[in-house]
Amino acid sequence: MSAGLVRKKRAKGATTSSLWVRNPFSVLVCRGSLSRLNIVKYVFILPAALWILSFTIIPLFSAINYTFANYVLGRGITGYVGFTNYINVLSSRAFWYSLFITIVYVSIAVPLELILGFLLAWFVTLCPREHNFFRPILTAPLFTMEVAIGYLGITLFTSQGGLFAEVLSYLGLNVPWMTTSYGGLAASIILDIWRWTPFVFLISMAGLAAIPDQLYEAALLETSNYRQLMTNIAFPLSWPVLSVALLLRLIEGLKTFGLPLALTGGGPGISTQLFSILNYYTTIQFFDFGKGSAMAIIYLLLVSIAISFIFSALRKSFD
Amino acid sequence: MSKQREDDFRELAAGYFQGRINRRRFIQQATKLGISAALLSRLAPATYAAGDNLVDSSPEAPNESPITKERIEFLKSKPYKGVTINVLVLKATVGDCLKYHAPKWSEETGGHVNVAEVPIDTLHQQIFSDLSTGLGRYDTYMTGCWFYGDFFTGNEPYIVEIAPFLKDPKHPYWDPDQWLPAMRRLYSWQGKVYGVLFDGDAQILYYRKDIFEKPENQEKFKAKLGYDLPSPPKTMKQMHDLSTFFTGWDWNGDGQSDWGISLHAKVNEQGFFHFLTLASPYVVSKDNKYFFFNPDTMKPLINSEGHLRALEDYVKFLPNGPKEAISWTLGQGWNLFLSGHAVMEPTWGDLPTFAQDPKSNLCQGKVGACVIPGVDEAFNPITGKWDKYENNVAGNTNGGTWHCVISRFSKKKEATYDFLAYMANKKNAMFNCANGWTGVQPGMKYEYFPPIGNGSLDEWAQYGWNKDDATRYLNAYYENLALPNQEEYLRIPGAAEYWHELDVRVSAVLAGQAQPKAALDETAQAWEQITDRYGRDAQKKLYQESFAS
Repeated sequence: MSAGLVRKKRAKGATTSSLWVRNPFSVLVCRGSLSRLNIVKYVFILPAALWILSFTIIPLFSAINYTFANYVLGRGITGYVGFTNYINVLSSRAFWYSLFITIVYVSIAVPLELILGFLLAWFVTLCPREHNFFRPILTAPLFTMEVAIGYLGITLFTSQGGLFAEVLSYLGLNVPWMTTSYGGLAASIILDIWRWTPFVFLISMAGLAAIPDQLYEAALLETSNYRQLMTNIAFPLSWPVLSVALLLRLIEGLKTFGLPLALTGGGPGISTQLFSILNYYTTIQFFDFGKGSAMAIIYLLLVSIAISFIFSALRKSFD
Repeated sequence: MSKQREDDFRELAAGYFQGRINRRRFIQQATKLGISAALLSRLAPATYAAGDNLVDSSPEAPNESPITKERIEFLKSKPYKGVTINVLVLKATVGDCLKYHAPKWSEETGGHVNVAEVPIDTLHQQIFSDLSTGLGRYDTYMTGCWFYGDFFTGNEPYIVEIAPFLKDPKHPYWDPDQWLPAMRRLYSWQGKVYGVLFDGDAQILYYRKDIFEKPENQEKFKAKLGYDLPSPPKTMKQMHDLSTFFTGWDWNGDGQSDWGISLHAKVNEQGFFHFLTLASPYVVSKDNKYFFFNPDTMKPLINSEGHLRALEDYVKFLPNGPKEAISWTLGQGWNLFLSGHAVMEPTWGDLPTFAQDPKSNLCQGKVGACVIPGVDEAFNPITGKWDKYENNVAGNTNGGTWHCVISRFSKKKEATYDFLAYMANKKNAMFNCANGWTGVQPGMKYEYFPPIGNGSLDEWAQYGWNKDDATRYLNAYYENLALPNQEEYLRIPGAAEYWHELDVRVSAVLAGQAQPKAALDETAQAWEQITDRYGRDAQKKLYQESFAS
């Protein structure tokens, strides 16, 4: 009996005992007692509740507590300072710059990953025989650690014999990858795209595979233009799946950390210091839990608002 | 005292201070000359385990010299068999050095060393998260000296004093009295020694002596600048002129244009030390020793007019090196010099040491060394005035002076100390500072030549050193450490954070993202917040005490 059916029966005035007799959980508990049934339910819920309590609720409240505290390495909380940490964060140029640079990073990287991932999936779908060859090659970057990609990037982008820099200089383009704010950011974004496009590719492949062949066959009677097939059939029908990729990439993108940290260390200056890097330096590196927690709470609020809007927009697009 | 006795005593004292005779013999001989024992004790502080029981070597410990008889006896039983010590080191040359010695110590003692390596940008966090959580996963940590204050923020220090171990002659012998005073300070906190000898950092200027002394270069320089090529440069202006002059043309004859200076400035990679080093003569003078804070108020001095001018002048060096220098780690900076493409580099002693490997570079026998050039006007941030000097120079001990400290949570402190002392034994310490790949620089008197110590050119030559390079390097290095004006080394709690705030902003200025004044003002503002967080009074007290030690 499903939970829905149980609720319906209860609504119709079914007695506790009749409900209980027909409940499949009766084999697990003593007969005739609703309270015992409830205990079982709670027992099943308990691990998840404990998990959320331990790893989400308590840390969140602990972080909120820290935002009002003065924390010093070795001494712990030395006193409470009201909203000083929030004021320090909100008046910090580094904080606002890190938000700006994170938004720029995500706004460029995520759409490009979606477009490239989907296009690659579409092309591979068109060549089913080559699936087995392309799929492992295209997904390989996913299995590489972010930090390793960051360090690899140093050898790719350095102007002293770096592959990208050398190739571009042959073409007459001398891009100051590692020495300017836009160069460092561009290098990070390129590597991010290289790493995460395969993720979108895999999800898009799944989305495209779910589209019935009959739809393509019917469309092919009308047109032989594959671009039209893609824009009118493949993309709209894959959009629900793609939107999941979009959301996951947005959330991951807003947490980007290892790759730019390894590649540029957040520099030159603070030009590639994404929010997560700034927060890492403040909280983890220098143990300023007060200020670090304050900036994390502000960021959490801002990101939650942004993601809610995106969710709601996506919901509307499905309606 | 008669003239003869005075001369005899002087010779005796020189012998003692240069390490030719031990303390006991010095006191015995001096007493015969009629010098009071009380006075002698003050002249010759206890060298802990030293004494007549020292022998040059022993088959029990082929890698230790000198060695105590107690140590020889102790090693016969392989005393640390079954003991494993866990060490957290910097993933760099200094970490490689420690790893090199670990199996050799194991062979002697039966102990085992587990080495965990972490990059410099996470080292502070790794050390202090282990200590502050009380996990104690490591028995010892390789620390930079600017982390020191953070070991003492709690009621009880996170690290232990080494004096009790030093007194025990069963451990490898090393003599803390051989430390140069500037270096000893960096291993101590409030007069007590916590670190075991390893590294001794300072930054001086290295240059291509052969290029500076080439007649055609000298003629060109004079024709262009109107004065003789200064070899070495004595003033910042000369250093700027030289770096500009040697930039953009092929002075080494390999068909490529070369550079006037090599720097490295990637954030979190110690690049900010270049700024600290080059800025010191602009602020530190005989009339002012404070570089970072006003000792009465703990107000930051970092945005003073002197610091500002220093930063503005520092930025002018940038066009005379590759643009990429702002994203370089220190190894990349050294490579430019060692490959013969840069004529100068203000940096650590690794550079001339690496230059001794004839297979990997073109510079052996050609490396000049001098103290950081001076300025004729220095700003006194306490009085708020510029003072004129003939040529104001300042020494420094900038760098990590990397060494290990023992965790108070360690359950194997004795074995841990034994391993650290093994690396500090004269034979190993000398090996470390004479080999470039170890990342270790000389901090003990015996590594220098008389009259400073009792080191010899032959000793350095046996490690492959060119004798002229060794002489120039060690003389300039010592001169820097002995200059009357010394830039302070910030070691109060939070020093790593203070310097990080400076590091990112100096980097932003170098990258053209910020103006020097704005960057330094912002640094000062960030420093104020850090000081308030740690407690202004507590910081002020420790800052003042750091000048008293």
